[in-house]
Amino acid sequence: MELADRAVGFLLTFTSLSIFTYYTFWVIILPFVDSDNFIHNYFLPQEYAILIPVCAGVVLLSLLCIFIGLVLLKSKKKKA
Amino acid sequence: MLFTSFYSPASHWTPELVFIANPVKHVLKLLSLLVVISALWIGLLQASIIPQSHTWLLPIYFIVSLGCYGLFMVGVGLMRFPTCPQEALLLQQDIAEAKDFLKQKGVDVGSN
Repeated sequence: MELADRAVGFLLTFTSLSIFTYYTFWVIILPFVDSDNFIHNYFLPQEYAILIPVCAGVVLLSLLCIFIGLVLLKSKKKKA
Repeated sequence: MLFTSFYSPASHWTPELVFIANPVKHVLKLLSLLVVISALWIGLLQASIIPQSHTWLLPIYFIVSLGCYGLFMVGVGLMRFPTCPQEALLLQQDIAEAKDFLKQKGVDVGSN
């Protein structure tokens, strides 16, 4: 069982590190690179660097609110 | 730098806890760094070196990096979690002993 835990932990660290390096590269390094370099093919246009985290944050917040609302409704129904 | 300073060596059976020597000083250092970087960013914005459409880049970058850092700590904690096999064995022995004792006294402990 600890192997499964280790695998999940490793997956999480790998995901977090890759997201961090990709985002850092995208936001900080890429604006200083020439516009016709080949590396720009691997990265989405710069507007998405702001759009994607904002959308993800909005989705996360709404899911949280939905979850809280469902729990509150369920507790109220049980009391009534 | 941040991550290595958090961990303290674990004893042989307690799970690793995260200790910082003085948490208040650490938080103050972090806050001052944040204030300096945002002051720099606002200065760059006012001087029109960075176009106004890019205002929200820095806060979003900080939030994304904070989320990544949290995920990283969770993953590392999962990887380093100790399983304590001797304690697991002792626990199983205690359970068997308790079951015998209760069965003697007449309480029904069905294993489920």
